[in-house]
Amino acid sequence: MARPIHFDTVRKEYRTAGTTHVAVDGLSLSIPEGSFTTLVGPSGCGKTTTLRMIAGLETPTDGQIAFGEEDVTDQSPQDRNCAMVFQSIALYPHMSVRDNIGYGLKVQGVSKADRDDRIDEAAETLQITEQLEKMPAELSGGQQQRVALGSAFVQDPDVLLLDEPMSDLDAKLKSELRVEVQRLHQELDATVVYVTHDQTEAMTMSDQVILLNEGRLAQFAPPGELFDAPVSKYVAEFIGTPSTNMLSATVERTEEGIALVGDGFEVTAPPDRFRDRVGESVVLGIRPQYLSTDGGRYGLVVTAEVVEQLGTEFVVHGHGPDGTPIDAVSSAFGDVDPGDRLAVGFDAEDLFVFGDDGHTICHGDALAVDARSQPR
Amino acid sequence: MALGEGAAGSIVPQRLQARLKRAALVVVAALVAVFVTVPVYVMVAVAVQSPTAVFSGGDVNLIVESVTFRNFAVLFEETNTVRYFFNSLVVTASSTVLSTALAVGAGYGLTRFEFTGKTLAARVVLFAYMFSPIVLAIPLYVIFYTLGLLDSYFALTMALTAISAPFTIWLMWQYFQTVPIALEESAWVRGASRTRTIWEVVLPVARPGYISAAIFAFAVAWNDFTMSRVVMSSEEMYTITVGASLFLDRVSIGWGETMAVSLLICIPPFLIAVFLQNYLLQGFNVGGLE
Repeated sequence: MARPIHFDTVRKEYRTAGTTHVAVDGLSLSIPEGSFTTLVGPSGCGKTTTLRMIAGLETPTDGQIAFGEEDVTDQSPQDRNCAMVFQSIALYPHMSVRDNIGYGLKVQGVSKADRDDRIDEAAETLQITEQLEKMPAELSGGQQQRVALGSAFVQDPDVLLLDEPMSDLDAKLKSELRVEVQRLHQELDATVVYVTHDQTEAMTMSDQVILLNEGRLAQFAPPGELFDAPVSKYVAEFIGTPSTNMLSATVERTEEGIALVGDGFEVTAPPDRFRDRVGESVVLGIRPQYLSTDGGRYGLVVTAEVVEQLGTEFVVHGHGPDGTPIDAVSSAFGDVDPGDRLAVGFDAEDLFVFGDDGHTICHGDALAVDARSQPR
Repeated sequence: MALGEGAAGSIVPQRLQARLKRAALVVVAALVAVFVTVPVYVMVAVAVQSPTAVFSGGDVNLIVESVTFRNFAVLFEETNTVRYFFNSLVVTASSTVLSTALAVGAGYGLTRFEFTGKTLAARVVLFAYMFSPIVLAIPLYVIFYTLGLLDSYFALTMALTAISAPFTIWLMWQYFQTVPIALEESAWVRGASRTRTIWEVVLPVARPGYISAAIFAFAVAWNDFTMSRVVMSSEEMYTITVGASLFLDRVSIGWGETMAVSLLICIPPFLIAVFLQNYLLQGFNVGGLE
């Protein structure tokens, strides 16, 4: 039965030879039961540590972890009814695929006949029936990963943990298994927590995304919200490919009221939010997808450096007048050559405004409402 | 040409170099074969012929013309060979088991647990291996004398384990480092206790490692002379190595019988080499001793 997972100010430190490394710091959040939640972040941000704490393979230095009402902080991994798929796959090389999948059931004392039924069922779901009597070494990487998923699947866990299970697979297998994992989630009554450093995986698969930054929670939200309403500069830069463009601007008092003035543009801003910030410098975030050659209330000149083709779209990597790196994505950039100067436009409603400390001051919708009321 | 055989930048042309390399390999292999097989052949030849046949005509006759088991018969009738052989088997088996068990326990602990002084402990283990057995012999004699344990299987087992354990521990320590901890963690998450995980996951995966350790411990114990000589004082407790070395002092025993007993000594290591050679190579590869 799926159970929600609660973190209450969880902290994990590692002490080695006199130095303390804080892997996870003050993490408090609740993962809803039955959800598919992804832990994402750059290497070393504490996502694997967090997952291992859920599994019981690491004990928090401070704080509590609970599954539903039950405090599991000090429970051993054996008592938690979790299933885990490891990055290294971790199949037992001396057991056949069948025994690998059934090992957890054997430990739980399930009878041989019962075990075989469940293994066959899992194998069928994962299309590895023909591999059941082979040894793990005879399988391809993708098949091995399916076996690992299978052994998690047969256990009917409350919580299914996946630690970067696809990081060693090629792109095609990745997309196949991505579907497989989501299908398993639908069939299983389990809370799934998935660790990845690949934000595309996180954005496409999950109900909820936990983005970590150096052991701290950066944002915990559904993928769409993470993309459209990042709470900080860090979130906006991490989520989305290519990364969000960052333009520096200052808050200035103008004839019409208050505006965010940058190199070549002046965005009207709602006075109630920015009145106290006049004179401060801010950062405007604009996603490369929202920079277009046609339209847009505000303009920007970009000098192209590199043009990449991504299927039907083209990514232009370039820089603005003051040298700030700027990327733009559009299907209209097909004939752009390095060195070309492009005039691109954007609208206020697509902007994010970040303060000096990196936190979001407001999102584009707040600016747009204001801009409409005060046309230039 | 296989990977790594190229020789870029050398003065000698590559083709010639490859030929020279092959020739050198053949010569070296032949020399080694001669030095290893000739003594073994001499041993077999002397052991399976009667002394009169070997020494007829005042010369050593190494062409085997008639095979006889007379030398073996003399050994079994006139000497304590069976007893010595039995003693050797007892202490070798116990020391092999003890040394391997110690190595598995210590190796697992050294790789899976953090404790203060771990590096120091590991260095001491390796340092201990550098002592030659004779350096340990006198202190061990004093210890066993004080404890009243001299002239017992127990004492010799301990002494032999003291010689082999540093190396077997080091070997297992290296081997366990190659067993991914994720295998164990995955078993724990599935509900298996640490003990059960060790039996069902760790040990099967580490099999080549501990078989290598066991073979090494076996070789040390079976071929030991020093410790047995020091620890065992009564004749019926001698191991086969010590026993055989004394044969030549006796008037009734000649070269034929001595070679016959040597042949007997060779049988157990030979069997082990034949049946377990794959494991031996796997284990030592990991230890960096290719």
